[in-house]
Amino acid sequence: MRTLGFFLLYKVIMRYFLSWIVGVKWINKEHLRGKGPIIFVSNHNSHLDTMAILAALPANQIPTTHPVAALDYFGNSRLKKKITRFLTNAILIDRNRDSNKQSPTNRMVNYLDRNHSIILFPEGSRGAPEQLQHFQKGIGALLDRRPDVAYIPIYMSGMGKVLPKGEKVLVPFVSYVIVGEPRKVKASGVEDIVSEVALAVKSLGDEFRSKNNLSAS
Amino acid sequence: MNYFFSSRFSENQEVITIISIILGVLVFATLLFYALGRFYPIPKINELKQRTRSWWVMATLFILATVLHPMISFVAFGLLSFVAFRELTSISKNIRPEDRKAIFWCYLAIPVQYFLAYKGYYNLFTIFIPIIMFVWIPFVLVVRGETVEISRSMSILPTQLMFTVFSISHLAYLLSLPELQGFNAGGRGLLLYIVFLTEMNDVFQFTWGSLLGKRKIVATVSPNKTWEGFLGGMLTTVLVSYFIRFLTPFSITESLVTGLLIACTGFVGDVIVSAIKRDNGRKDTGTIIPGHGGILDRIDSLAISAPIFFYWVYNLYYAV
Repeated sequence: MRTLGFFLLYKVIMRYFLSWIVGVKWINKEHLRGKGPIIFVSNHNSHLDTMAILAALPANQIPTTHPVAALDYFGNSRLKKKITRFLTNAILIDRNRDSNKQSPTNRMVNYLDRNHSIILFPEGSRGAPEQLQHFQKGIGALLDRRPDVAYIPIYMSGMGKVLPKGEKVLVPFVSYVIVGEPRKVKASGVEDIVSEVALAVKSLGDEFRSKNNLSAS
Repeated sequence: MNYFFSSRFSENQEVITIISIILGVLVFATLLFYALGRFYPIPKINELKQRTRSWWVMATLFILATVLHPMISFVAFGLLSFVAFRELTSISKNIRPEDRKAIFWCYLAIPVQYFLAYKGYYNLFTIFIPIIMFVWIPFVLVVRGETVEISRSMSILPTQLMFTVFSISHLAYLLSLPELQGFNAGGRGLLLYIVFLTEMNDVFQFTWGSLLGKRKIVATVSPNKTWEGFLGGMLTTVLVSYFIRFLTPFSITESLVTGLLIACTGFVGDVIVSAIKRDNGRKDTGTIIPGHGGILDRIDSLAISAPIFFYWVYNLYYAV
């Protein structure tokens, strides 16, 4: 029942809403066809980012794919928490780390060990629209623990104009979701892994812009 | 089924004739490029084949949107405006983050404009975007309060709205025109006439330009536009206009002038979009139509020829 719900929500409603109304275009979508565990790493500009990734996944992978979201933002009221969990299967982590619960990395590793996939936005926050920010350490810690799990870098462009941080009205703009090839991490050590992944995401964007003769946004 | 098809469609001999001509042209082009590719391969043959395939899709959609119930036609043209406007604002590098709310109002203007066209409220239809939105958009920008480069946004947004929504909605308004005595094809005939002629004019100018083109008209904007292509295209368009004047209430002289008008305005629309693309560092406005680029790449000529043609025919025959 839940699978059917996810199918309707993402493969029917979200997908056509994003591509027909908003104007989202997925490039190299076929790279998303693989089976979990996969770590999707993307830059973050908008709430639509998560939707755009989930809508492009194969239907049978959606119920076992978990976006990682901030507890202090999405969990600050019980209703919001429930909705987020119910609609996206999100793993809510505490950014402030003052609680004595399990560490965020441990929780993500548990999901990966059950062959579930994870969507991670290492920028931490959506930040200023359309500007790539510094990547946080979480992705490094995770890949350091599970270097055999493949990760897929994803670069999104334009979504920050559609629904940027702090805005409530959605305005259509042609946006791109550029999916990189699945790959395994080569570097070792948390910091090096972070910079490798950050470079992978950034170069997807640079490659896309140079191919289309666009200046950096 | 009767609900979807316009009741007069099957009786409308002229419309059936022009649809047969359109399909005939497509069959001819498909066979020609197939034969060329088979026996006499020229360099750009694959692009031409892809373009023809896209023409099939576009022609089918257009014919369906025209012969089905008028309600469907208005929704279809509204969607066309929507996608074109989205393409234009998305490639524009001068849009500021503060303009989002004004752009949202622009999107809201699309259904309003097409509703006015559907109802045939002529006066409101002609002033809604050029006057009301022209005032409303700058006001929304002012209320937002960010004045850095605001004058640029004030001019870009109404222009984009004019170019993609106001102009294209005139195609839809043709379907709301009242019936004329002794003119059987009606607004549907006029719609098929202007769209067929404008698109054929593009093709003619392209063909003549490819065959004979030497002297460039505006080299810095569009290197493919040559005097040979423009004049050759114009002559062919005038000729075709003469032969398909059964779709219009025009006399022979009027049909020749209309052909001339469409050739010139089509060219103007084409170079305007080329210049906008160049300014924003794009080759195409999008990737929606294989071989052609974006929607805007295809309707650029229509964006200028449609309103000009509309007021030309309106003032000749419909204004009392």
